[in-house]
Amino acid sequence: MENTENWEPKIVAFLCNWCSYAGADLAGVSRLQYGPNVRIIRVPCSARINPQFVIKALQNGADGVLVSGCHPGDCHYISGNLVARRKFALTKKLLEYIGIEPERVQFSWVSASEGGRFAALMNRVIDDVKRVGPAKKLVKEL
Amino acid sequence: MDSKAVGNEIQKIAGELFRDDKIDVFIGFERATVPLKSRPCFIGKDEDGRIENLVWDSFCTNNLAAFLQKYFENEPNRRKKREKPYPRIGVSVKGCDTRSVVALVKERQVIRENVVLVGIPCQGMIDRRKVQEKVGTAEIVSHRETDDGTLEITTTDGKTRTFKKEEIMQSACIDCRYPMPEGTDFLLEGEAKEPGDGGYGQIEAFEKKPLEERWAYFEKEMSKCIRCNACRQACPTCWCKECFADHTDLKWIGVGNHISDAMIFQIIRVFHQAGRCVECDACYNACPMGIDLRFLTKKIVKDVDELFQYVPDFDVESTPPLATFSEQDKDTFITDPEKG
Amino acid sequence: MKDGVISKQDFPQFLNHLKKNAKVFAPVVTNGEAGFKEWSEEDSVEFSYSNLKLSPKGLFFPQTETILSFDAGSVEEVPSHEEKMVVFGSRPCDSRALTFLDKIFSEENKGYNDPYYMNRRENAVMISLACSDPCRTCFCSSLGSGPADEAGSDIVCFDLGDKLYLKAVTEKGELTIKDAGKVLSPGDESVRKDAEKQTAEALESMNNLEADLPSVKKNMDDSFDDPVWDRLTRNCIGCGACTYLCPTCYCFDISDEERMYKGKRIRTWDSCQYASFTKHASGHNPRKNKKERLRQRFMHKLSYTVENQGEVFCVGCGRCITQCPVNIDIREIITTFAEK
Repeated sequence: MENTENWEPKIVAFLCNWCSYAGADLAGVSRLQYGPNVRIIRVPCSARINPQFVIKALQNGADGVLVSGCHPGDCHYISGNLVARRKFALTKKLLEYIGIEPERVQFSWVSASEGGRFAALMNRVIDDVKRVGPAKKLVKEL
Repeated sequence: MDSKAVGNEIQKIAGELFRDDKIDVFIGFERATVPLKSRPCFIGKDEDGRIENLVWDSFCTNNLAAFLQKYFENEPNRRKKREKPYPRIGVSVKGCDTRSVVALVKERQVIRENVVLVGIPCQGMIDRRKVQEKVGTAEIVSHRETDDGTLEITTTDGKTRTFKKEEIMQSACIDCRYPMPEGTDFLLEGEAKEPGDGGYGQIEAFEKKPLEERWAYFEKEMSKCIRCNACRQACPTCWCKECFADHTDLKWIGVGNHISDAMIFQIIRVFHQAGRCVECDACYNACPMGIDLRFLTKKIVKDVDELFQYVPDFDVESTPPLATFSEQDKDTFITDPEKG
Repeated sequence: MKDGVISKQDFPQFLNHLKKNAKVFAPVVTNGEAGFKEWSEEDSVEFSYSNLKLSPKGLFFPQTETILSFDAGSVEEVPSHEEKMVVFGSRPCDSRALTFLDKIFSEENKGYNDPYYMNRRENAVMISLACSDPCRTCFCSSLGSGPADEAGSDIVCFDLGDKLYLKAVTEKGELTIKDAGKVLSPGDESVRKDAEKQTAEALESMNNLEADLPSVKKNMDDSFDDPVWDRLTRNCIGCGACTYLCPTCYCFDISDEERMYKGKRIRTWDSCQYASFTKHASGHNPRKNKKERLRQRFMHKLSYTVENQGEVFCVGCGRCITQCPVNIDIREIITTFAEK
């Protein structure tokens, strides 16, 4: 968490296997460029995401967290992302309320064919997090 | 009815329920050993003599629904073969207690048929912290409540002071929209206080503050936390057999009072209350350090209400908001890289 | 010099003098609540409290303490604490409680010395503040103590309104007073008389439980399976607030916090009131219910410690009584078993 000119944010991205992860793959195969700051964690569905994952990532020092799933209506498990949508909305609001910068925790829908959208999303998130600086608030130093 | 009459009526009903063998345990309130407090009173089948201890006043703040879940352990999934049937429990309940019972019934932690709810129209409870604040460091040795809504307290120097109930009412009660219990088996006669408006205005005002100010407040409050878990234990809807905070393999949060752990404990605890918190203030009252938990609990209630049009009220049939979804749920929180 | 007098106005000079060689902890109001804080010149020392919410045990036995750290194979022990400390403002009950903790953490206890606690104790000077206005919930006199008990103190300080009278109890205390000769005036007969009068009046104002403690122990020991325990413990919600606020409670947990290959081992407060306190790895829990846990708490304080350490491990500070959300009152427990 050095606050130097060369600081690069560390972003954890939880991607659902069927849409967003495939979208990320497509971005790679298509040689679309985005910052090297993202660590991707593949989950079967966005519904697998427990808000505790997001907060744990922040506690462990992630500067930003992204959760991405299929577009509503396209979930491989029919309604996983619809159930998750409610949890995500609440999580985002609660974290912003207590004072975590909204740019740090973001949610999106990216489909398997949207390689370009995925790269654009990554660059967007990286820029947002660069703007708000290194995470300090929930971080626990060991 | 004045509070003495309410107390007598509760005693009468409890007595009848025992006589007609309708219950095995009655949970109400009795005088406490310290001023400005009434404490939960348990009466078993062979303890008729204790029925006359039952009282009702503005210090019956505990949410008695917190005691119910332990009687129905092994519900709903691991219904062990039991030698004896589940006990039948009579409880005197306010509006908030009733809604907690409803939430527990929905989650199948309490069997509705085994609970006899004695509903009491609530006139609002007094916050002993507010009274102490008004008196400063002087010690309060006794109190006397009058039926015209005033509280007279005596301090060690012999001085008495009188307060109007509105000045010292619990903030939860001022905002409460459901002071009149519904769906109870008995409902005492009388009027409940005027319902409040839910108090969302306070949250809206807080939301308008700058981000860093909100963080500073949250940090200041959570720095007081000693991780005693009183908030979790007092809450009627915190019933998990193993709390996420106690997991050791793998660990979500540490057990010490590092501020990051204290903050995350509260964030997640409040998040787990989404759609279930009835704002009874049991957590706030139990906290030995006086942390303002209300600004968090009320936020989750407001968000669930605004996003999903759901409030944990008296309706046993409604589906909890996080157990379902709607195709009309908004995507406003989503980041769309193609838009601004 | 065995005693000293200083005006309240000049008192910061005394603290400043002590600060030259040690960290000074004194009661200061932070976030609206008085608590022990490392004192510096801009802090105003608080005198008008009956007792502080948290006892000074946290200064010697912190809620969270790192005992070693590790990083990819190398282990580093935390160096033992050698810093000098002066604690001002501990009430005599809390200072007495520290002598009980000494029996647990020193070699007296099965020959094992706990350096984390003992080093801090050995390097500290305790200046207790005698009580002039005990609370109704204080009952130290029922347990063989009193408002100016000297146990655990190096100096006892009496608040005589506009001035403070400091009386040395130990050699360490005498040296401290002698050392501060420049800011303290010697005590005289009238000041000593005033202090005695204050203590006598304070003692007079306290109610005595009139309980014969050896009988309490014997009756408790004979009543282990008695149903009276069901009745006494029904209210408990298992919140643990009593154990965390108690100045003689010392249970702790040791856990590792790690991330990748780096981490630390910490010692944190634990509570016998938590459900998983006695849970075995097999899943068996000898104290599964709240009744068993609460019975253990009272028997530990009033019976087992008498056998093992020769003392009743309760100093009558009353914190558990004022903070218990369901008003479980240790005085009732004592009088119940005194009568049996």
